[in-house]
Amino acid sequence: MKPTGIVFFPAFDWGISPTHPEREERLLYTRDQLFEEGIMDLPQIVEYQPRMANDRDIARTHFCIPGVADQATDAHRISCGGALTIADAVMNAQIKNGFALVRPPGHHAMRVAHGNRGFCNINNEAIMVDYLRYHYGLKKIAIVDTDVHHGDGTQDIFWHDPDVLFISFHQDGRTLYPGSGFVQEIGGPLAQCSTINIPLPPGTGDQGILYVLDNLVLPILQDFKPDLIVNSAGQDNHYTDPLANMQFTAQGYAELNRRLAPDIAVLEGGYSVETALPYINMGIIMAMAGISYSNLYEPDYKGHRFEKQKAGSSIKMTVERLQNLWQIREALIDDTRKRQKEFYQQQKSIYYDTDGINEQQLETVRMCPDCMGYHTIDSHASLHSGDENHVFCISIPLKACLRCQGDAWNLYEDRKAKDDVYQALYMQDKVQDRFLRYSVRDGQEISFE
Amino acid sequence: MYIGIDVGGTFTDGVVLYEGRVIRWAKSPTKTDRIRESIEEVLGQLLPEQEGGKVSRIVISTTLITNLLVTNQIETAALVLIPGPGLNMLDFRLTEKEWILQGGIDFRGREIEAVDPSEIKEVGGQIYEQGIRKAAVVGKFCQRNPDQEIMVKSLLQKDYPDLEILMGHEVSGELNFPRRAVTTYYTLTTRQEWRKFAKEIAVVLQALNISVPVVVMKADGGTMSLAASLDAPCQTIFSGPAASTLGAFALTMDDKTSVVADIGGTTTDLALILEGKPLHASKGARIGDKFTHVKALAVRSVALGGDSTVRIKEGKISIGPDRQDKAACFGGSGPTPTDAFNVIGGGGIGNIGASRTTLASLCGGELSQVEKLAQSIVDHFIDRLEENVQSMMAAWEQEPAYKVWEIVNRRKVTIDRVIGIGAASPAIIPLLALRMGCEGFVNTYSTVGNALGAVVARPTLELHLHADTGQGVYCINGHRRKLEMPESFRISDAKQLAEEELEARAVTHGLTDYFKDREFYLEEQFNVIRGWSTTSRIFDLGISISPGVVKGYKGVKV
Ligand SMILES: [Zn+2]
Ligand SMILES: [Zn+2]
Repeated sequence: MKPTGIVFFPAFDWGISPTHPEREERLLYTRDQLFEEGIMDLPQIVEYQPRMANDRDIARTHFCIPGVADQATDAHRISCGGALTIADAVMNAQIKNGFALVRPPGHHAMRVAHGNRGFCNINNEAIMVDYLRYHYGLKKIAIVDTDVHHGDGTQDIFWHDPDVLFISFHQDGRTLYPGSGFVQEIGGPLAQCSTINIPLPPGTGDQGILYVLDNLVLPILQDFKPDLIVNSAGQDNHYTDPLANMQFTAQGYAELNRRLAPDIAVLEGGYSVETALPYINMGIIMAMAGISYSNLYEPDYKGHRFEKQKAGSSIKMTVERLQNLWQIREALIDDTRKRQKEFYQQQKSIYYDTDGINEQQLETVRMCPDCMGYHTIDSHASLHSGDENHVFCISIPLKACLRCQGDAWNLYEDRKAKDDVYQALYMQDKVQDRFLRYSVRDGQEISFE
Repeated sequence: MYIGIDVGGTFTDGVVLYEGRVIRWAKSPTKTDRIRESIEEVLGQLLPEQEGGKVSRIVISTTLITNLLVTNQIETAALVLIPGPGLNMLDFRLTEKEWILQGGIDFRGREIEAVDPSEIKEVGGQIYEQGIRKAAVVGKFCQRNPDQEIMVKSLLQKDYPDLEILMGHEVSGELNFPRRAVTTYYTLTTRQEWRKFAKEIAVVLQALNISVPVVVMKADGGTMSLAASLDAPCQTIFSGPAASTLGAFALTMDDKTSVVADIGGTTTDLALILEGKPLHASKGARIGDKFTHVKALAVRSVALGGDSTVRIKEGKISIGPDRQDKAACFGGSGPTPTDAFNVIGGGGIGNIGASRTTLASLCGGELSQVEKLAQSIVDHFIDRLEENVQSMMAAWEQEPAYKVWEIVNRRKVTIDRVIGIGAASPAIIPLLALRMGCEGFVNTYSTVGNALGAVVARPTLELHLHADTGQGVYCINGHRRKLEMPESFRISDAKQLAEEELEARAVTHGLTDYFKDREFYLEEQFNVIRGWSTTSRIFDLGISISPGVVKGYKGVKV
């Protein structure tokens, strides 16, 4: 049996600010617990050093404004590179599965990145998914976001993509940041039900979450038949997390990972640094490596009273609603396709809590009969400093048809020729793996390598 | 006059170093079950006249403890674990006689589960009934709070005063509970034998009128006094390869990056010296499938030596892992890699005619084919060594790192040189170096490089300090003390504490000469934030006097 791969990168010399939850101390006790257990010495585990993600890896997924280097510091590149290291090891069959136990996290980072949102600058899983599809030719990938917060960044990135199934369960957006992730958010017109959101009431515990897993997530995965399953593994559903209000335990996390059997897990949030993280991280590793977690529990677990343990009726109703939606997904898309004009447009306004940025987006997608269509995003951000960033982004999806590819490039060249309102134009051609930024002011074009 | 003795698996080597010159060396077959005699014999050759009084330093490197451990000739003891939550230790039996107790300490040294005196009483009874009189008591995170270990020991000894007990925190202050358990258990089960050996050595030396205290070689490439080793016999395991690596350094004395190839009869031990510093294994010495807390040099043993048996199976060459006889050129029956290297290198080692004849026997007596065959054997041998060197380098480059700084500033080194140690190295090293595109180094003393390494190796010392101002305590190598003023305790105070402690130990162990060479190899500070403010601080410091050569040694004159 092949081992489980681990990249452990606690970034002991990096924090958003000295007292921020995303700080140097976050994985200290996890380090102590993992190392004291000696789990890395076991033949079931192999530890890897993370590599650094390069500009191309990042630009394949994001439009970083103004450039990749402005959004991705060394710490972000290593954290993301940790996920890529695990991805390579899985694909090269060195390991049976792997866990990128890395920080900083990424699942709130959206396609256009002007700054830090919800502690995230670049989206580690999304970059890894695009990397896997480009370099290894994987067709269908499922991401199950088990963080207590809605993975709105990952949702945004794959919103129009029918080949990436994004399932997020999280504490109800009416009671928690980022305030999204409702049942009706099911993806773009040609990718309906490739986004599944499962809002859960505060206080949901092991049984509630495992109910959702068994009755909704696993059956959907069985239908979707992904080539690879990713767990976007946040740990803030824990009963001691300071930022959320759920009742999940380390045993619950381990059991979830055993049943879900992800090929790759990537750490996301989780800020109960002493009472939860050391035990949950052990649990995830043990479950993925097939090591018994019968003796794994939090110090206060035995005396703790877990209320609202059973899956309540509201959870059952949500599950049923989504089960029904999932059954009619093909009809929904056919129906939409008939009614849509050539271009679909959507206005969005995005707030960056950490950096205090307000962004307005106008997204346009061609309703192409032959592919998922090329996209454009007109993004206008008001920065905390009072500066404004106005940019135009074009994205050609990996499986774009020739017509969409040609039209997208023509659009880019047209815009370059025009004296435009934008500061910069971005071209993200995932077919040719070419990523460009054209500065309108000085006429310079650079390529992200 | 300095004396170095390396008791290896096959031979015992010794050298006498006097005013920067090796004035004598000796070699004699090792008698595995009578190591004292082997040492006595080599000493007899090294000091033919009554010169014991002139000896100012004597260093011994021996496989005694390594042999006891790998052949499982250790004493019987119970291993009593206090694991608390985490891995289920029932699935990971470390030893044959093992008991698991209730109790638990967390990473900050807080008790999370109490021990149960009635359970301890019961376990004590079971141990005693089985006729076991030694017990290793080891708790998870006991190095951050030894109270439960101490409690278990006192309860066990209350009922059974003759039970000899060693606790985990007395053995190591590093993180890694299974390694600490194994190391504690091995220390307890070998120290009696080691103490017996120490006494015998004292008698031998006394008879030779050598009055200076004996020093022993450690796995980490340094030495310690025989007195200090009485409590830490496991530090002496794998000291042979460590001595060879130090010997290679002592022969070259620069800051180049080298591969050390100690080519023995059936194995070649490979080690790395990176920019003048011997590389340590990231996980500590490994015995069988168990890792320990014994700091050791990164040594890879390849089953390939000068005397390995060469065979041809279905047209394919295989070398080793066994040995049947000496090389034909040295009067053995061969054929061996040494014979092949002899033919390719144009002779110069023993009887080249014998080498040709034995190789011819492998290719149906065709003397015309001998050169070709010899070349294939040499290629095969060099290929395998090179592969192993490359994968050692790759493993080093891929070692995990936990800070942004470490990843961004990752060192990349290229190999400048291969240094040969061992009798077969003059024949083999030049060709290996040629293949690797680097310099090859072999000199007159390569054959006794191991004993030379022992003679010049300086003492090493290492200390780990963990301070937690929130708990108001600090621990040095597992021993916990109270912090005087935790609120105002800063990293500078922590460093001062570590340095003072190291200096005190340096004085006790008589190595004040090397205190100035101390280095902090680990420096971590964490602010403990609760709410949105710093409530306390945690420090992890590591300070060491790392391997090197003794004061005054400037290199050996050839
Ligand atoms: Zn979260
Ligand atoms: Zn198209």
